[in-house]
Amino acid sequence: MNNAIAQTTALLSTCALLLTGCGGGGSVTNPPNSTPNNTTTNTAQTTTTSGAIPIGIALAQTSNVALLGQEGFVGARIAEKYFNSKGGINGTPIKLVPQDTSGDEAGAINAFQTLINKDKVVGIVGPTLSQQAFSADPIAERAKVPVIGASNTANGIPEIGDYVARVSSPVSIVAPNSVKAALKQNPQIKKVAVFYAQNDAFNKSETEIFQKAVKEQGLELVTVQKFQTTDTDFQAQATNAINLKPDLVIISGLAADGGNLVRQLRELGYKGIIIGGNGLNTPNVLSVCKALCDGVLIAQAYSPEYPGEINKVFRQTYIDQYKKEPAQFTGQSFAAVQVYVEALKELDKKTKISTLPLDKLRTELNKQILAGKYNTPLGEIAFTPVGDVIQKEFYVAQIKMDKDGNTGKFVFIK
Amino acid sequence: MDITLFLQQFLNGLSIGSIYAIFALGYTLVYSILGIINLAHGAIFTLGAYFTYALMGGNFGFNGLLANAALPIKLPFAIALILGSTLAGLIGVVMERVAFQPLRRQGSDPLLTVVSSLGVAVVIVNLIQYLVGAESYTYPADTYGNLPPSINFGTPEKEIPIRTVQIIIFAVSVAIVAIITYFINRTKYGKAMQAIAEDPTTASLLGINSDRFIILTFFISSFLAGLAGTLVASSVSIAGPYFGIAFGLRGLAVIVLGGLGSIPGAVLGGLLIGLVEAFVPTEYSGYKEAVAYGILFIMLLVRPQGLLGRRFIQKV
Repeated sequence: MNNAIAQTTALLSTCALLLTGCGGGGSVTNPPNSTPNNTTTNTAQTTTTSGAIPIGIALAQTSNVALLGQEGFVGARIAEKYFNSKGGINGTPIKLVPQDTSGDEAGAINAFQTLINKDKVVGIVGPTLSQQAFSADPIAERAKVPVIGASNTANGIPEIGDYVARVSSPVSIVAPNSVKAALKQNPQIKKVAVFYAQNDAFNKSETEIFQKAVKEQGLELVTVQKFQTTDTDFQAQATNAINLKPDLVIISGLAADGGNLVRQLRELGYKGIIIGGNGLNTPNVLSVCKALCDGVLIAQAYSPEYPGEINKVFRQTYIDQYKKEPAQFTGQSFAAVQVYVEALKELDKKTKISTLPLDKLRTELNKQILAGKYNTPLGEIAFTPVGDVIQKEFYVAQIKMDKDGNTGKFVFIK
Repeated sequence: MDITLFLQQFLNGLSIGSIYAIFALGYTLVYSILGIINLAHGAIFTLGAYFTYALMGGNFGFNGLLANAALPIKLPFAIALILGSTLAGLIGVVMERVAFQPLRRQGSDPLLTVVSSLGVAVVIVNLIQYLVGAESYTYPADTYGNLPPSINFGTPEKEIPIRTVQIIIFAVSVAIVAIITYFINRTKYGKAMQAIAEDPTTASLLGINSDRFIILTFFISSFLAGLAGTLVASSVSIAGPYFGIAFGLRGLAVIVLGGLGSIPGAVLGGLLIGLVEAFVPTEYSGYKEAVAYGILFIMLLVRPQGLLGRRFIQKV
């Protein structure tokens, strides 16, 4: 019977893990650890594109990363509507073709294959997770279909292949800026506590940048506390840090865990400045820590307050629709669709794209994407020859919560 | 270890452990009566949190079918908590009728009910996401009135702060354990449930309506899940539709450690795992979950019936 209990427990654990697996996992920045899927892909696409030009949107609409995918999807939809109202591709509208990647690699692979072979898209925006990109992007690469990642920030994404690019910057520059901004607010800062989500590759690399910046500023790093993006209780880590009386706390995490950490630090009595990393750059963090978010400095790759014209239009459209500020992934997805639109326009000026066979169109489009410069809501961007984004503008914002403690905004401070 | 730090971690452990305990109580109740593990318990936990949030007048974001929807009423937290947990209990009853009773009637292997409950969990979680999106939701700041956010159990020089909400959860856990223990051991209904757990056939011959008591068991179990979900959500916010899954996994570890089917075992297991996690050294804090499961595996090897579980004796 002892064995029976052990066997039952093993089975139950397996079932429970399966249940977790159903929800996908990870975050937007997980590292590559999976072998690319070898499923054959039909690369012979000789039909031409007639009517609206299909652009694939492969983002998570389900699973526990759905929120990130949905943020991105909203940005792509706004771009579709906006650019079609401006005449599309020299008179021809674009048509977004959404596919749910869910939160795992298999979901992303299925979405990519459907978009490439069934929907015959000219290019794809996505997938949501870096982890998924490492599995699904090689499929697009083999089929010679351009991919633009709008939320993939891990190292090595553009290097997956010639047809893979991204508009989501790893923001290695912004971290030191936010530390400087904190010192400007309180020059007396001496002791710093750092928290980071250790199960997330981007947060891990971001914390290294933050820690380096802390040391370069001559500050004392009193503790480094680790957590998981799936954690909800931070009492132990927070009190460990508070007991060391830090003047500054730096958090590299995502919205839910990072927001909860901010909330619990404040509830436990921490009164100093808090810096949140790029993963906290979403209005969704406001609903987690509410009034306690007030004053948090946020490192940003996208700021709703960026003064560019296209951002003003994008931001206003979003606010009109959703009554809050757009999130970073929303801005980045808009930018990804914009890159396709402008590259297609340029290509169309050279050769009528309706006359190009699909495979030729995809190849030429990819070349055009990498050659262009784009004035997007993220600021002016271009691409390195390998496809990584060259972004000029990075931002630091401070969260200002309204008196009711329920709504707030990111106030651009640099 | 410095005494202040020790006390801090001890209280940290008790506070998180009490959350695990209250979650595991519902798990173990169903197991003790029916001998099955209900993997949908985590999903019901999540549902309870959402029910209470809705009853408090919470607005549902912009991603789901119920985008920007809110009930026209705003109930105080205590009433919303009871109603929300009751709704969770009723969902548990429906779940029992749909997913468990048909299998039981067919005399299916109990392991099939595990798979069935897994299916229910996936359906509920996805349904939640479809309806209310994947956003995090937080209860209003005045959920617990004007209580201070934390209480210092140390001195002004050497602080030992514990969040007030954690203390409330601990107190509720203690009260729930006392009530459930009294109910099971001292009341007619509780004794009838024990009789069914011991031998359903004999219990039926004695005039006990097993079906009715199974429904009652599922109601209480799901009520407790809803209650736990709400209390945890009031402490950390509802972190999306998958909110209860991690607790579900931890709950499994708790009931196995404490002893399958043992109510005091669920409490002891919960508190122990909470304490173990709290005492994981800082540099390994991200691995606290692995430490908890490591202890579980060791326990399975050394004492498979768990700390307070009964050793099964096979008569030949």
